[in-house]
Amino acid sequence: MWKISSSSSRSQFRIRRSPPTATLGSLRCVEDIVFEKNCEQERRRKSVGRFGFYFPTMINFVLLISRQGKVRLTKWYSTYSQKERTKVIRELSGVILSRGPKLCNFVEWRGYKVVYRRYASLYFCMCIDPDDNELEILEIIHHFVEILDRYFGSVCELDLIFNFHKAYYILDEILLAGELQESSKKTVARLIAAQDSLVETAKEQASSISNIIAQATK
Amino acid sequence: MNPFSSGTRLRDMIRAIRACKTAAEERAVVRKECAAIRAAISENDQDYRHRNLAKLMFIHMLGYPTHFGQMECLKLIASAGFPEKRIGYLGLMLLLDERQEVLMLVTNSLKQDLNHSNQYIVGLALCALGNICSAEMARDLAPEVERLLHGRDPNIKKKAALCSIRIIRKVPDLAENFMGPAASLLKEKHHGVLIAGVQLCTDLCKANTDALEYLRKNCTEGLVRILKDVSNSPYAPEYDIAGITDPFLHIRVLRLMRMLGQEDADSSEYMNDILAQVATKTESNKNVGNAILYECVETIMGIEATSGLRVLAINILGRFLSNRDNNIRYVALNMLMKAITVDAQAVQRHRTTILECVKDSDASIRKRALELVFLLVNDGNVKPLAKELIDYLEVSDQEFKGDLTAKICSIVEKFSQEKLWYIDQMFKVLSLAGNYVKDDVWHALIVVISNAPDLQGYSVRSLYRALQTSYEQESLVRVAVWCIGEYGEMLVNNVGVLEVEEPMTVTESDAVDAVELALKRHSSDMTTRAMSLIALLKLSSRFTPTSERIKEIVTQHKGSVALELQQRSIEFNSIIQRHQNIKWVTDLLVVNNIARHPLKILVVESMHLLLGCWCMCRSSLVERMPVLDEAAYLGKRAGSSQPTLSAEKSSKPTTSAASLKLPNGVAKPPAAPLVDLLDLSSDDAPVLPSAPNDFLNDLLGIGLPNSSSSGAAPSTTTDLLMDLLSIGTSPAQNGPSDSNVVPSSAKAAESKPAPVTAPVMDLLDGLPSNASPPRDENLVYPTITAFESSTLKIAFSFEKQPEKPQVTLISATFTNLSSSTLTNFIFQAAVPKFVQLHLDPASSSTLPANGNGTITQSLRVTNTQHGQKPLAMRVRMAYKFNDEDKLEQGQISNFPPGL
Repeated sequence: MWKISSSSSRSQFRIRRSPPTATLGSLRCVEDIVFEKNCEQERRRKSVGRFGFYFPTMINFVLLISRQGKVRLTKWYSTYSQKERTKVIRELSGVILSRGPKLCNFVEWRGYKVVYRRYASLYFCMCIDPDDNELEILEIIHHFVEILDRYFGSVCELDLIFNFHKAYYILDEILLAGELQESSKKTVARLIAAQDSLVETAKEQASSISNIIAQATK
Repeated sequence: MNPFSSGTRLRDMIRAIRACKTAAEERAVVRKECAAIRAAISENDQDYRHRNLAKLMFIHMLGYPTHFGQMECLKLIASAGFPEKRIGYLGLMLLLDERQEVLMLVTNSLKQDLNHSNQYIVGLALCALGNICSAEMARDLAPEVERLLHGRDPNIKKKAALCSIRIIRKVPDLAENFMGPAASLLKEKHHGVLIAGVQLCTDLCKANTDALEYLRKNCTEGLVRILKDVSNSPYAPEYDIAGITDPFLHIRVLRLMRMLGQEDADSSEYMNDILAQVATKTESNKNVGNAILYECVETIMGIEATSGLRVLAINILGRFLSNRDNNIRYVALNMLMKAITVDAQAVQRHRTTILECVKDSDASIRKRALELVFLLVNDGNVKPLAKELIDYLEVSDQEFKGDLTAKICSIVEKFSQEKLWYIDQMFKVLSLAGNYVKDDVWHALIVVISNAPDLQGYSVRSLYRALQTSYEQESLVRVAVWCIGEYGEMLVNNVGVLEVEEPMTVTESDAVDAVELALKRHSSDMTTRAMSLIALLKLSSRFTPTSERIKEIVTQHKGSVALELQQRSIEFNSIIQRHQNIKWVTDLLVVNNIARHPLKILVVESMHLLLGCWCMCRSSLVERMPVLDEAAYLGKRAGSSQPTLSAEKSSKPTTSAASLKLPNGVAKPPAAPLVDLLDLSSDDAPVLPSAPNDFLNDLLGIGLPNSSSSGAAPSTTTDLLMDLLSIGTSPAQNGPSDSNVVPSSAKAAESKPAPVTAPVMDLLDGLPSNASPPRDENLVYPTITAFESSTLKIAFSFEKQPEKPQVTLISATFTNLSSSTLTNFIFQAAVPKFVQLHLDPASSSTLPANGNGTITQSLRVTNTQHGQKPLAMRVRMAYKFNDEDKLEQGQISNFPPGL
């Protein structure tokens, strides 16, 4: 399933373990610190329920970044403002892209853990709470990649760039509210196919209607 | 039709953006596209709305602002067709977050779509709701979601269950509504629904204790059955991952079991078997198997599992720890941190492996391991562990050194049993990673050194040695410079050499060289330089031959651009220049050295006196820093209290060289700040009474000849000396510092029979006998009630030796009038300047109730103006009464006449 193609931009994902050497910029601006405080407050606010229980969302966000640091997909399950989102992406890509190979796939970051896995030129990252099962997240990432692969047929980064909305649709069938939704690849594929065909039928209808109108107005 | 909107398709736009070579080009393309989309929006263009929104999403991903497209999402969601809705909801989730007001407008559309006949449209609405709903929306739409939970279609059910999780997180009050439906979801067969249902139950347990109880009662059995079924199920291709059927379901069920079994013996009992089965049967050669084992171990640790099961869990972790896969080792370390509360012994067994992980090349593993090691340290293993860590400090990565140093420092501080070890380890850390040591850590080190008189010599020599090799470590330089300044003479004279030390010869100018280097090195920062300047000033009085050189060095900094340095050097320069007495001090230092030789006792005693004078004089000039009360200092540093250390310190008698005794033991002079120094050198000092100055003149008047004629010091000197000494005991006379001084001196008085004060006082007792003629008086004075309150009564009885009319021995008797015992009783007294007071330790610090016992304490009062002024005294009693700290004070003026 994981073929290696010679063209660099069309190289399919191979499971390649990568990682670390975290060097976070040692210079931090005031804004950074304020943001961190906000994050911490946010975390506390959303994590403490009525009875003072700890309240994690399993996955706080999903991030796909290319080796060049370009964002290919982002999905936020916890609340982050637009400004914070940019900041998080910039910071994390700095941390994750600089980790060397053969290191472990977990990075501790602002009291959370980020689990990442590299497939060809793409890093799939998921941010989870410190108490969650990191090994399982690796499996979820792989689950996602396998479904993508099945859908696009030997998926590569370009597929995700030009059909980014489809990648989102697939992700929405796998994760919801930061929790896993479906463990069967077949079911996900079936649901996506059904919705795609729904769109196709609608398009055909639309074009046939416009044809009719066009002919009628001729 | 808009000329732009028909122009580019989504694919073309992405291509155009990817073709851009520079960021500026990209911005230009994006700007053009945005302009076109805005135009289309303002024209209310229907045909290309979904395409425009898709473009906007791509632009958004690149990080450009796209707020103007938010309303388009709502319009698409409101339209009838599935394709429009699909892209509309995607845009909603991508471009908006729950905090935006616009989101409220979508509530109505969501409500309609949740009731739609098409299951996929319902699915879209549930998905959007689950990902971005706010608390208000959660309240409004909860009934719809709840209804969908009862539906037929499994895809809708699982989405509705996950959506409920979000709703409960936003509004925990709604949890009760979902309890019943959630429990019934666990009876489903469809894995997706099961997974969602189990997750919903887990969240319900977290949100609501009622729900936890309800689920514990109704679902434990069902859960065990689900886990049994899934782990025993034959090969199921749809859910199979590496030979295991649906590991995701495994993990979720285990997690819910942890919630239910926590602190509940019955349900834990019920789970034991299946947990044992999962823990033993699961294959651990693949990541999936390990993920399940990891979750299983966590559940075993979390519930009231049998001890056998716990051993099994710890063994699995041990296996993880020795795995070659970094991920597995990471989670093992993570888990061991939780296991340490369950079974510390078992974790200790893996100490060596964990210590190896601290040296791993992976930052994440190192960090975990270091935190674990920190938890593993105890009194028994602190020495080898600290040694390992410090050895590793030498070779560790730069970015790891900060964390490592902080942890080592706190381990060493927390577990040190002896000062020498503590000081040694700190010196090692300072010379290896001095730049990473936090300020409060080296401040604490200085406090410890200043409180350990017998280690000061050793410290200053070790630091001097370390300084030769590690000049680039900032905090090492600071501590070293401070110590050389304070204890420079010990460096040169090799005072208090320990057995382990190698002999070393350092000349006075070597010591000055070291400080000068610290001052002039370009990498030294302001604090280090300022400290070096002070050290030099101190050395100028201790090492006379070098004082000219020091003056030169100080003068060089008069032109420093840094204000602090400039000011300091100018001030110090004028002190050195104008204060002629500094020479005298150093002359007396010679006398001091004589005193150390075992001469005749009389001579030594007189030397003590002179030393007292010398100290007094020096105390105003370049006195050693007043010793900080270690217990108080450590108390201030929250979280790093060292009860063992400080207890040891307070009881340790100061038996080393006599010169140490005075400054560190008795004098404890109120901190002599720079103002005092300058006051001393200027004649019109308004703040300080002219006493020290007079005294100094007296001292000069006495000169050396007096010191050789033993014991014949004039009374003025004794008076002043007495004044000085009384500082230690009478709190009222030295206002600002009494809070620090009194408790410690009182403590000292309790723990040892005032070994420091006594000899000097004895000496002074002897003095007046030479000066004044003996009188034949043996008067009897009546006993008085000095103080009486509702709880306490104090009686004074007096005694006077006929040959010393100035000296009165008072024995105070304390009686408890209340009905409960007073503990921690401390009596303090203050007298006017012309009276000297000496307090002996009290007979006890506990006062039994109802007058069933007394405390006695004797006071010796010397009235220097005997016959002219009557005695007066202020008293203060501190004690614990019914566990409350109480303080009483009063004035005694009814002394019998003639005292």
